[in-house]
Amino acid sequence: MYVIVVGAGKIGFYLTRELLAVSHEVALIERDAYVSATAAEEFGSILITSDGTEPTVLGEAGAERCDILISTTGQDATNLTACQVAKYSFNVPKTMAVVTDPDHVPLFRALGVDVTISTTELILSHVEEELTGGPFVHVLPLRGAASGIVSMRVPSGSPVVGQPVSRIKLPQGTLLTAVIHKNGELKPVVSDPELAADDAIVAITPPEKEDELWHALTGEARR
Amino acid sequence: MTRHVMIVGCGRLGATAANALLDRGDRVTILDTDAENFRRLRPRVRLSMYVGDGTSHEVLRRTGIESVGAFIAATGRDTTNALAAQSARTTFGIEHVVCRINDPTRSEMYERLGLTTVNPNQLLIELVLDAMEQ
Repeated sequence: MYVIVVGAGKIGFYLTRELLAVSHEVALIERDAYVSATAAEEFGSILITSDGTEPTVLGEAGAERCDILISTTGQDATNLTACQVAKYSFNVPKTMAVVTDPDHVPLFRALGVDVTISTTELILSHVEEELTGGPFVHVLPLRGAASGIVSMRVPSGSPVVGQPVSRIKLPQGTLLTAVIHKNGELKPVVSDPELAADDAIVAITPPEKEDELWHALTGEARR
Repeated sequence: MTRHVMIVGCGRLGATAANALLDRGDRVTILDTDAENFRRLRPRVRLSMYVGDGTSHEVLRRTGIESVGAFIAATGRDTTNALAAQSARTTFGIEHVVCRINDPTRSEMYERLGLTTVNPNQLLIELVLDAMEQ
């Protein structure tokens, strides 16, 4: 795949490195000459020192044949503009934006950004998980946002502990995709493993079924 | 009829627009991240000035966006204006939204998306060309 990354800050830098490691073609665009010089040592010719919100710059970077544009700067306004230019001037099939202000998430979706990554919400969901021992972690919203991938831990007092996966009464439209033992071992769902306390469950579920799924896995109402 | 207009950005364009609207009898709320920029305006009865980020929905809400009839995004940065203007239109449902966009290649895209844009440079160029014709 051909990926354009806008912003060579911390997120953009490491993202580009990971994308290259799994053999994607990447162009990295950074406006700031100083930040760019640091990244150039690592990435060489795929780095473009210019403004990734300008149509001429994105055009020269080959936005027309780009599969995904990911805008990772610390500025919401910049990330929105880069995504909108990619989508509406170059028909880039998928755009992703890092969003700093959580209030902007619904707006960005309404304005055509396919995937929003809210760093605040991401960290918050992990904080909540650590503090209360278990609500949902929203791992990833899926395309169209009708369903999302969620993860949660089975509490020790849950009625599903000791039960095989097939006995869980899942809400309609919910698919249990993986069970991960607390030692990190992945238990395939097809082998119908027995659930233990502290197993992590990964499921695909529509947002309105989350409470029901929570109840099915804990035996309690969701707080 | 008195209108209430919110302006984001108190640079030359924002300040001049604010004065013109006030002279016509409109109410104006103007926002800028730098209080220093308010030197361009003198205190007037129907003018409210706030220091704040016009792309933050919380700031927009606190400074009364829900009661304005028109919105002008007039900072010097296209990206800031585009986010502020689209917030006003999509998040807050303001009917009359005008957005300053300096880059002509981008303003064409925003126009296609239904945003009313003004490009000061383009206007100036047209005036210059007109003057040369005469």
